[in-house]
Amino acid sequence: MVTRVPHRSLRPRRRLRLLLASGAAALALAAGSVVPGNPLAPAPTEARADDGTTTLTVAVAQSVDSLSPFLAQRLVSTSIHRLMYDYLTNYDAKDNKAIPGLATAWEPSADKLTWTYTIRSDSTWSDGRQATAEDAAWTFNTMMTDEGAATSNGSFVGNFEEVTAPSKDKLVIKLKKPQATMTALDVPIVPKHIWEKAGDFSKFNNDKDFPIVGNGPFILTDYKVDSYVKLKANKDFWRGSPKFDELVFRYYKDQDAAVAALRKGEVSFVAGSPSLTPAQSASLENAPDIKVNDAPGRRFFALAVNPGARTKDGQKFGDGHPALLDQKVRHALFMAVDRKTIIDKVFQGHAVEGEGYIPPRFGDYFWKPSDGQKLAHDPAKASALLDEAGYRKNSAGKRVGKDGKPLDFRILCHATDPNDKAIGKYLQEWWGDQGIGLKVDCLDNVSDPWYAGEYDLAFDGWSVNPDPDFVLSIHTCAALPAKAKETAATDNFICDKRYDELYKKQLAEYDPAKRADLVKQLESRLYDTGYMNVMAYPNAVEAYRTDHIASITTMPSAAGNIYGQDGYWSWWSAVPAAGASSSGSSDSGSSSTGVLVGIGIAVVVLAGGGLLFAMRRRSTAEDRE
Amino acid sequence: MSSESTPALVKGAAGVESAASGGPAPAGPSARSPRSRSAAGYARYAAGKLAGAAVSLFAVLVTSFFLFRLIPGDPVKQMTGGRQVSTEQIAAMRREFGLDLPLWQQFTQYCGKALTGDFGTSYQFRAPVVDKIAEALPATLLLTGTAFVIYTLLGIWLGARSAWRNGSAGDRANTALALTLYSVPSFWLGLLLIITLSVGVGPIPGLFPTGGMESGDTAGFDRVLDIAHHMVLPVVTLVAVEYARTLLVMRSSLLDEMGGDYLTTARAKGLRDDLVRRKHAVPNAMLPTVTLLFVNLGTTVAGAILVETVFSWPGLGGLFYQALSVPDLPLVQALFFVFASAVILMNTLADVIYPLLDPRVGR
Amino acid sequence: MTTSMEKPSEPREPELGKPSGGPGKAAPAPSPRALTRARRRQAVVRFWQQYRTHRAGLVGLAVLAVIALLALTAPLLVGAGSQSVTDAPGGPMEAPSGEFPLGTDQFGRSLLALMLWGTRVSLTVGLLAAFLSVAIGTLVGITAGHFKGWYATVVMRVTDWFLVMPTLVLAIALATVLSRSVWTTILAIGVTTWPTTARLVRAQTLSVESRPYIERSRALGGGHGHIMSRHVLPNVMPLVLAQTTLVISTAILTEATLAFLGLSDPTIVSWGGLLQDAREAGAVSSGNWWYLAPPGLAIAVVALAFTLCGRAIESVLNPKLGVSR
Repeated sequence: MVTRVPHRSLRPRRRLRLLLASGAAALALAAGSVVPGNPLAPAPTEARADDGTTTLTVAVAQSVDSLSPFLAQRLVSTSIHRLMYDYLTNYDAKDNKAIPGLATAWEPSADKLTWTYTIRSDSTWSDGRQATAEDAAWTFNTMMTDEGAATSNGSFVGNFEEVTAPSKDKLVIKLKKPQATMTALDVPIVPKHIWEKAGDFSKFNNDKDFPIVGNGPFILTDYKVDSYVKLKANKDFWRGSPKFDELVFRYYKDQDAAVAALRKGEVSFVAGSPSLTPAQSASLENAPDIKVNDAPGRRFFALAVNPGARTKDGQKFGDGHPALLDQKVRHALFMAVDRKTIIDKVFQGHAVEGEGYIPPRFGDYFWKPSDGQKLAHDPAKASALLDEAGYRKNSAGKRVGKDGKPLDFRILCHATDPNDKAIGKYLQEWWGDQGIGLKVDCLDNVSDPWYAGEYDLAFDGWSVNPDPDFVLSIHTCAALPAKAKETAATDNFICDKRYDELYKKQLAEYDPAKRADLVKQLESRLYDTGYMNVMAYPNAVEAYRTDHIASITTMPSAAGNIYGQDGYWSWWSAVPAAGASSSGSSDSGSSSTGVLVGIGIAVVVLAGGGLLFAMRRRSTAEDRE
Repeated sequence: MSSESTPALVKGAAGVESAASGGPAPAGPSARSPRSRSAAGYARYAAGKLAGAAVSLFAVLVTSFFLFRLIPGDPVKQMTGGRQVSTEQIAAMRREFGLDLPLWQQFTQYCGKALTGDFGTSYQFRAPVVDKIAEALPATLLLTGTAFVIYTLLGIWLGARSAWRNGSAGDRANTALALTLYSVPSFWLGLLLIITLSVGVGPIPGLFPTGGMESGDTAGFDRVLDIAHHMVLPVVTLVAVEYARTLLVMRSSLLDEMGGDYLTTARAKGLRDDLVRRKHAVPNAMLPTVTLLFVNLGTTVAGAILVETVFSWPGLGGLFYQALSVPDLPLVQALFFVFASAVILMNTLADVIYPLLDPRVGR
Repeated sequence: MTTSMEKPSEPREPELGKPSGGPGKAAPAPSPRALTRARRRQAVVRFWQQYRTHRAGLVGLAVLAVIALLALTAPLLVGAGSQSVTDAPGGPMEAPSGEFPLGTDQFGRSLLALMLWGTRVSLTVGLLAAFLSVAIGTLVGITAGHFKGWYATVVMRVTDWFLVMPTLVLAIALATVLSRSVWTTILAIGVTTWPTTARLVRAQTLSVESRPYIERSRALGGGHGHIMSRHVLPNVMPLVLAQTTLVISTAILTEATLAFLGLSDPTIVSWGGLLQDAREAGAVSSGNWWYLAPPGLAIAVVALAFTLCGRAIESVLNPKLGVSR
C-alpha cells in the first residue's frame, strides 16, 4: 500500500493492533519458538524511514522458480528480471517496436550473418562498476558453452556462431544462419564480475546475497519464498529513476484473497492469473478508488485438432480420430461453435472474438480471414458439411460414419483453467446438437496425452511475443519430435509444406513490412487447414488502486496491460498518488479497522469470560444440590 | 481435518486398549497377552514398536516412490512451461534430473540418498527438496501447533463438562455444536470466514488479513503481532473442525470412568462433587485422550493442506498441492514421506509412552 | 482415519440377530429357517424400538429421508434441461430472486436446480464409496479374524500400514494419478478408508469365533466358507451397518474436498464441484455468498445427519457408550 505518511502517524494504529491482537499473539507464543524476534522488544523497529517512502505493492500468486536469469522460466521470475537487469533492446510501450536498452544501436552486416551492437556507456551496476559489452559477451558465451546456463534462454543462442566484445562499447554476434529476431533477444545481461564466481549454474539461484547486483530500473533487496519479493528504485538508472521508492511483490496464492487485499488497500495492484474473473471485475468496478484495466490481451484461445501425430521421419503414432483428417469435418466442427456466445457468456465480454492466429494487439502482424474464407458460426452449413463428408445422422440422431461407428471425440482440457471447463460444456451441447459426442478430458497436466498424440481435440493457447517467430515456429515440420511420444517443440503436430516454405522466408526477411506480409500469409494458410481454430483473444483484466497509483503506463500505451509486459514500463512509470489526503484516508481506514478488531476481540473475550463465569456459577449451584 | 473419518472419532471412545491398536504392530485382542511389567519387558515392547515404525517408514518410502511415478505428465515438459526450448535442452534436463535412467536404478538411487537425508532437487525450484521443506516447515508447525494446543484444551475442557453433566441441555448443545462443526468442510468454513471477517460484509469492515503469514513490512515485536493477526482465521478454522474429536473422546472416557466404584467411594467420603471430578475422574479419563492427542498432532499436519490452500499460508500443505500439479516428483515424494512419517512417529510415540502413563496396562 | 481408536475389546453381545446358544438346530416343529427369520424380524423390531428413543438419530433419519426423496425426484422437480449451459435461463451470477431462489451460477443456470442435481451425485458417491470401503474392510476383517496365523499377520500389517497413511494426502495422490471421473473419486475414498472397519470387524470376528456354537458348527463339518458367511457375517452385520453410516459422512466430505481441489470430473455437478466453481468464478471476493453458502451447508447437513444416525445405531448396539438421548 502507499504509505507516504511519516512513521509517527502509524504508531497509534500499530499500538492498537498490538493491544487488540494480543489475544492472537498469545496463540502464536503458545505455539512456541518458531516466531523469530524478541517479543519483549520495547519499540517497534521499522525498516521504513521517517521521510515518507512510497511503496508499490503488487499481489502475485505464482511462485518464483529461480532468481537466476539462466534458470528462471515462469512469468513472475522473468518479469522481475526485466526490472533487475537491462536487456540489449527493449520494446516501445507504444507500438512494440525495438528500441534501445543496454544497446543504443545495432546493425546487421550485408551477408545478414553478423550483427554489431553499440553498448551504452551510462549504465552502471549497483556496485558501482560500469556495464560493458564484455558483460553481454560473457552472458551469451556462458549460455552457449554451459548446459546449466542454457536452461531458460538457450534457444536464443542456438543459431549463434560466435559472440565477442572487441571493445567496451561493441558487441559482435556471428550467426550460423540469418535470423530476423536479433532485436528481440529477451536475455537479461548479468554482471560478469559477480557471476564468474557463481559456480554450478544449474544450482545457483541468485537468492543469497542481497541486494543483488543489477543495472535495471529496480534493485532486488529481499526475497522470502512465497511471502514477498522486495525491490528498491535504482536512482541511477540511465532512463531515469522510477517514481516509487519501493516495489514489493506480495504473495496471495488465492485470487479471491488478492482481490480482497486490493479492496482493503493491502496491495495496490492485482493482475490475477491469468486475469480477474468477470464477477471479480464487475464487483471491483463499483468499488471506490479502484480502477479496472480491461485491456486487449496477448493470448489467443484456440481449438487445436490432432492432425495425426507423427515424427520427423513420418512415423505415425497416437490415436487421433481419423474423421478429423477430413478438412470438412474440422471446418464443420468449428462452424458449429458460436464464438459470440463464448465471448458473451464465458468471458462475459472480457475477450475479443477470434480471427487469425496473432491477436489484434500486435497490429503489424494481425490478420483477418476474408469474407469467403471465414468459417463463421453456421450450424446449418456445418450439418451440410458433415453430410457431405459422409457422416449422416442415424435414427437416434447420432452421426455415424460409413463404417457404422458413431462420431465421438475427446477434447483435452486443463483442469486448472475454468475457461476450458466452461467452453467444454458448451461444445458438448453444440456438437451434441449436430449428433456428435464429446468427452471432456480435464487433466492437471495435459502434456502426456498431448505429446503421445492421444487426443482428438484440445484447448490450446499461447501468449504471443512482439516478435511472432516463436508461436509460428511451433507449427513447422522441423518442430516435430524425432522419436514417437518424445517431447518436442511442436504444438499439435501440424506439418504442412506450404506453411514451412512461408515460415523459412519470413525468418530470413529483415525488411519489417515484407516480413509482416509473409507472416500474414502464414496465418491465412494456418486458418484454412482448420487444425488451429482461434476462438477468442482473452483480455487482460487487472485492477489497481487509484489512491495509491496516480498513473501507470500500459503496453501498448493506448490500451494495454500492466502485469507481464514485454518491458519494464508499468512499474518504472507508475506515479504515486499525490496527497497525503488519500494515503491518510486509507490509513485512517485501517486504524479504524484496528479499533474494530480490538472491539471485536474484547467483546469475544468478555463474552467468553462471562459465559465461563456463569457456567461455573451454575455448575457449583448444581453441584450443591 | 474435516475429512478424517468419523468412525475414528466415535470409536475413539476408547478404553485402555486404544494405544495398543494405534501402532503398526498387529495388536488385537489375540495379540494381547499379559506381559511382565518389568523394565526388560517394557524395553522389549518399546523396541518392538520402534522396529514396527521403522518397517512402516520404509514402506512409506517405497510407496512414495512408486505411487507418484504413475502421475501422468512429463516433468521436463512441465518445467519448461511452454517456453521456447530446444530438444537438446530437454535432453540435458532429463540427464540432470536422472530421468534418463531405468526405473529400478532411479529407485535404488532414491532410497540410498533418502537414507542420508537427501531427497533430491526440486524440478521447479532448482533447489534441494530438503531446503524447500525446511523453508515451509516452520509456517506449518506454527499454524498446526497453535491450532493443536487450542483445540486440545478446548476439547478436553468441553468434553469433561459434557460428560459430567451427561444428558443435560448443556451436554446436548455442546455435543451437537461439536458434531455440526465437525461435519462442516474446513475449506468452506475458511472461505466463509474470509468473506465475513476479511473482505467484510455490508457495514462490517474486514478485520483480518485475507491470506498469507505476514505483511513483510514489520520487524521485531510488531512482526510477531503481524503474524498473530494473520493467524487468527486459519487457526479458528482448524480449531472449529478439529475440536469435536477430542471432545467426544474425553466425554466418553470420562463417562466410562464415572461408572467406577472409586468415585462413589470418594463421594461417600464426603468430597465435593467438583473436587471428585477434578481430582479423580478427569485425570484417569485423560489417559485415552492423551493417546488421541499424539495421533491428532500427526494428522493435523497433513490435514492443514486445505486450510493452507484457502488462506495462502506458506506451509507444507500448499507446497504439496502446488508440487502435485507440476508434478514436481522429488518434492511430492518427500512431502508425502514427511506427512506419513509424522503420523507414524506420533502413533509410535503414543504406543511407547502409554504404558508409562497408565499403570493398569499390564504389559 | 488414521486414529485407530476403537473399542472391540470386550466380546459384547450384539443386539441384532444374536444366535443365542439356545434353540439352534435342535428346534422342533417350524423349520429352522423360518425360526431364524422370525428371530431376525424380532431383533429388527427391538432395534427400532430402541433406536426410536434416540432423538438425534431420528432427526438424522428424517433429514436423510427428505434429502433422498429430493435426490430421487430431482428430474421431476427441475427437469434435465436445467443443467444445460446453452439454454440457461438467467444472467451470470444473479442474486437470489423469485425466479431463482438461490441465484444463478456463472452460466446463468439456476443454483437451486444445480443443488438438487448435485444431491444425486454427492449421495451416490458417498454411498458407493462407503459401501466399497466397508466391503473391503469387512472382507479383510472377517478373513483376518477367521484364518489366524501368517495370513492374519500379513493382512493386519497391511491394514496397520494403511491406517497410518494420511488419508487425505493418499486420496489426493490417487485422484491425481487416475483419470478424473466419479469412479476415481469413489475408488480413492474407498481404498483409503477401509482399515478402521477391518480392525473393528476382525475384533468382532474373534469374539464371535470364540463362542461354543462355532466350535459345534465346525465339529458338525462346517467349512470355512460356511462359518464365515453363516455365523460370523450375521453377527458382525450390525457393527458393519453402524460403520457404514459413519463412513458415508466421511466419504461425502472427502468427495467435496476432492472436487474442491479440482480433482473430480468437472463436467458433473456435485456439491463440492459447485463450491469449486464458485471459487473459480471469484464468488468469494465478489461477495456472492449465495453461491458459496448453500453447497457447503448441504454437505454439512448430510454429513451431520449420517453421523447422527451412526451414533444412534452405535449406542443402541452398545448402550455403555452413553450417547445422549
